[in-house]
Parts: sequence; structure tokens; C-alpha cells
Amino acid sequence: MSAAPALGASDKLTFLLSLVPYLMDHERVSVSTVAAHFGVSPERVRDAVNLIAMSGIPGDTRQYLHGDLFDIHWEEFETNDNIVLTHLVAIDDSPRFSAREAAALIAGLQYLSSLPENADIEAIASLMAKLTRSASATPSQVAVSSTEPGAAIALIKVAVGNGVQIEFDYLSSRGDHEARHVDPLRIESVDQDWYLRGWCHLRGAMRTFRLDRMSGLRVTDLPTEDRTEQTLPDTLFQGSESDLEVVVELPAAAVPLLADYAPQGAGPGRKDGMVLQSLRVAHFHGLKRMVAALAGVVTVVGPSEARALTRDWAAAGAARYDAVVPVQDE
Amino acid sequence: MSTIPEKPSRISVEERLFSLVLALIATEIGLSKSEILSTVQGYRQRYAVGGDNASLERQFERDKDDIRELGIPLETVEPPDDPGSNHHLRYRIPKGLYELPADVSFSADELMLLKLAATVWREGSLSGESRRALTKLNSLGVDSTDPVLGYSPTLRVRDASFEPLSKAMDRGQIVAFHYLKPGEGAPRRRRVAPQAVVLHEGRWHLFGTDQESQATRTFLLSRIVGPVTNVPGATFVPDGEGKGQEALAELDALWRANLAEITVEPGSDAGVRLSKRQALEPGLLAGESMVALHYTDLNILADELAGYGPEVLVRSPVALRAAVLSRLVGVRDAHTDPAQEGTA
Repeated sequence: MSAAPALGASDKLTFLLSLVPYLMDHERVSVSTVAAHFGVSPERVRDAVNLIAMSGIPGDTRQYLHGDLFDIHWEEFETNDNIVLTHLVAIDDSPRFSAREAAALIAGLQYLSSLPENADIEAIASLMAKLTRSASATPSQVAVSSTEPGAAIALIKVAVGNGVQIEFDYLSSRGDHEARHVDPLRIESVDQDWYLRGWCHLRGAMRTFRLDRMSGLRVTDLPTEDRTEQTLPDTLFQGSESDLEVVVELPAAAVPLLADYAPQGAGPGRKDGMVLQSLRVAHFHGLKRMVAALAGVVTVVGPSEARALTRDWAAAGAARYDAVVPVQDE
Repeated sequence: MSTIPEKPSRISVEERLFSLVLALIATEIGLSKSEILSTVQGYRQRYAVGGDNASLERQFERDKDDIRELGIPLETVEPPDDPGSNHHLRYRIPKGLYELPADVSFSADELMLLKLAATVWREGSLSGESRRALTKLNSLGVDSTDPVLGYSPTLRVRDASFEPLSKAMDRGQIVAFHYLKPGEGAPRRRRVAPQAVVLHEGRWHLFGTDQESQATRTFLLSRIVGPVTNVPGATFVPDGEGKGQEALAELDALWRANLAEITVEPGSDAGVRLSKRQALEPGLLAGESMVALHYTDLNILADELAGYGPEVLVRSPVALRAAVLSRLVGVRDAHTDPAQEGTA
């Protein structure tokens, strides 16, 4: 099928149509400057310039004669890696957004509308209106309600601006409370969940913290150290040698629900549509919560310790309802 | 092939598409299909004069669709002296509709926000659209400011139905799918005109006109079972702008109208995390261990609360209490081995 190459061609065509007006506005610009501005490789810029310089319109003669083609200062290009457009054809302005492109940006803004950077509601509304006007059709109706990461981000931003550590009480996924001092580096989010990544002075290592597990956050006056030498790992959480392996049973169709646990290959599917899936977890405390939240979908097969912990967790939850007289709705 | 094309393999897809766009922008009156196929770079090399050009014509049809997907307004013009004739249709791209409006510009701060907005979709759905939107924004030559604090926001769409539903919505195409409604045992086939796809409280919803009842309905994408298919020949005119916000407002109203009261164990995971979602309503009894939560869907809240095990006790509504208890009992029983029953 031609689906994958077609996507590549869409990106390449968009780049060509976007590069022309940019080059028009820049009398002489180096390949490396263009590459950095568009976030692409210098080779891709050179390929695009070569293609543009030999493209044009059929013209009155329908022969693509010289005057009907774009042209560049070839010597500048070949000797100095600079781009100078000397002749333009047909287009001189940036293209509009498609309905889906505008929708992607608008929905992204909606998702981020609770960030301190987005505090000016009127400015955001006018930016969305501008995107709508810049689209060649009504933007697709994809809308996203903003998530509420709370006041934490504004405080963390102040700390980063002042170059100081933050301090908070953190409830770990094992259920322990600890006071943490952290050099904040980056805020990440996945859907509704917000995370802080930074240098944890208690552990002496890079750590990821869920914002909703922090309490009593405050900005200290202890300076942060320069952490530019340390690189943040690509993934929020890293597996470790000490991880435990568990096997769960679930319908094949429900496997995507476990994506956070980076499930290894599933076992063979059965006639009833159920599969056995093995997962690696740091400890069983997170597992029992996940399984109880997917009641009726996921069952722990083994090891027996994980099964027993899950059973006791659910049993203790259920037992709470034996002890009290139900509160009736009046 | 009767003619020998001149170096056909040297013309890349993007060169053919780029040449087509340039040719259609440059023409005022439009070009006919045969003019395009015989003269435009990438087609002319494969054009057979007086011969069979069926495969080249199909190529042109696909290219037209691809170009329109990019937001380029490729128009079909009927000749005034021969209206209704398919044979003399002409094609063009009106420059005024192709170009960004002259009065639209973006500041460095706005561009910073838009770049952040585009990174939200870096995985999966809408990632290609975001990438291309950024390329178009970069053509304006503005350098963005950098935020003080680094951000890396992500929205993941795990529902396989998102892509076919949002595309059908753009095309005004009525779709069919099997839907497992909460509280019903078996999925039922629904035919729906999709009007908006919205994310609310972490879940994707489809807002559309149910073709059986001819009324607006909201569907959870996670409860769509199996593939979404187009109903052949069934189209509708989308209501357009504002439908997404309308759907969100409706879900918000539902969310506000539903209130659950629970007791949480102070300092526990439930205590720390759920207290942050405390409903702010006048007259609510809120203490260290009492939390009131708004919700849109009882079953979804019940799933979440069951995960907290003994850290949460539901006080009201009664239906939520029953739903959480039955989940906990189910999990307990599913993890109890027959031999251990006495000791559990």
C-alpha cells in the first residue's frame, strides 16, 4: 500500500510550499539557518532548494522555459551553502491551514489552557480566532477540555525563574510519605496526569513526581545546581533489574489498557478471546490498584503473592461496606 | 504503453504535486484535465497522445484528494458555455483562498504557545497535521520565545475509533458501529452523523445525530466495539463551528449535576489525590476525610474508586455505592483460589 509514502509526500509538499515564502522574505540565508528554523536536516533543505530551483509552471509555450521556473543564485548555493532566490513563480505567500491542522492546534491550546503561559484568556481566544481565520475550511470539531494541574505549576515556574529548589511532601506509589527537595527541570503530562521531572536531593538522582501526589509545595531560597550536564531519560519511568514479573489474564481487546506497563509479548489468543500477558512492575502495590480499577477485565494469574495481595486489597475494600449502615438518599 | 516516457522515474511524488499546485495557482481560467495531464511536470512524461491515459487519470484523482487534505482549495469550475458537462471541467486554485489572509500574523509569544500546542499531538492521531501546521507557521519567519520552564505535554488517543470518526466528520459521512451502552449486556448497532469529537475528563466522546431517533446522542469512544464503517452513500451537512464547544458544555453540565460523597483515609493515595478534586459547592460538608466529587459517568467513577480499595468508602449515591462494592467483591472472588476460601 502507498499509505506511508503518501504521508511523506504530504510533509515534503508542505515544506516546499512553506520554504518559498520564507526564502522570499530572506534575501540571503544559509542552509544551516533554514534547517534550524524549520527543525529539519540540512540535507532536506538542500534537496528542497534543488527541487524548487528546477520547478515552475508550463507557461504559454507549455515547455517549462527558463522564465517559467524558479531560479536561485547557484554559485552562492554550491560554494557558500547560501540560498538566494532570484526568480519567483506563482506563489509568494504562506499556505492556509487545513481544517484538521487548525483543529489540532486549537485543541492543543485548549488542553494547555490552564498553564500559566496561557493565563491571558482573551489572548488565547484571539489566537484561536486567528487560527480559524487562517484555515481554508471550518476547523474540524475536535475539542478538548482543559486539565487542571493546579497551582503547582505556577509555583514551580517561579522556582525555575529564580533558580531555587522546591520542597514538598511526596506520597510514593508504595504509600510512604517523604519530604523532598528538588531542582525542577521539566513539566510533562500524559492525558490527565501531570508530572514534574527534576533532580531529587534525597535520592541524589533524576526522579519523576506526580503533581497530584505532592502536598505542601513551597519555593525555598536554596539555589539549584547547574544540571545541564545531566540528561533526562526519554521515558518518564525506567524499568530496573529488581522489577517483578507478573502474569495477568484479560480479553485481547483490552491489552491497550495496559500500555503504561509496556507489556511484553502477549501469549497466544484463545477461543474465548482471552490472552495471558506478562508485565514488569516495580512492586505489587501499584498492580493491586490497577487490577481493582479494571474490575471484571484483568485478573492476576501469578505469582501467588501478587494474587493474594490483590485479593486482600479488594476484600478489605468490600469489608468496609459490611461495617456501616448504608446512607440512604432522601 | 505506446510512448516512451522521458525519465519517468526521476519525477518524485512531491515534485509532481508541487508542479500541479504551481500550475493551478498560475491559471486564472483553470486547466482542463487533458491540459494538466499533457503539460504538467510529472504527468506529461507519462501522457500518451491519443492513447489510453486511464491510470494517469486515476493518479490525478488521488493527487487532487491529497492536495485538498493539505487545506489547499483546489476548485472545479464548470465552463459557462457548457454547464453540467463533465468533460469540460476545469481545475484551479484561487490564490486568495490559498494564501494566509494578509492581516494574520503571529507574535513570538503566540508562536511559542502554538509550538507547545502542536507537541501535544506528537504521538499518533493528528501528529502529521500538527507537524505540517508547524511547518506552515515556520514559513512566516518568526522565531518563537522559549518558556521559562520546559514543558512536554502529551495527549494520547488510544481509541481506534478516533481516526475514522474524525475523518468521517470532516467529510460529512454517516458512520455505523456497535456500541456497548453502560448497563446493557450486548452491543447494539448504531448509525450516527458525527458532529464533534471531544475530550472531557480524560475520555473521548463522540457527539452526533443518531439516525434511528434523529436526536443528538453522546457516545464514549472506549465503548465502541469493533470497527467504525462508512454507511455507503449516506452523507450529511455538518453544522460546523461551535459543535465541539456545545458538546463540551453539555458534558460539563452533566458533570456538575452529578455529585458523589465519599470518605477517604487521610494521608492515603485516595486522601491525597481525590481531595485535590474536591467539588467547590456552597453548603458541602468537607473535612479531612469527606470528599465530594463531580462526575459524568457513574460506571467510570466506580472503576476508579474501586482501585483505591479500602482507602475509599462511598456514601452516596446508592447506585455508586453498589457499583463500587460489586466491583470489589468481583475482584476478591476472582483472586480467591478454591482451596483458600476458608482462610481468605
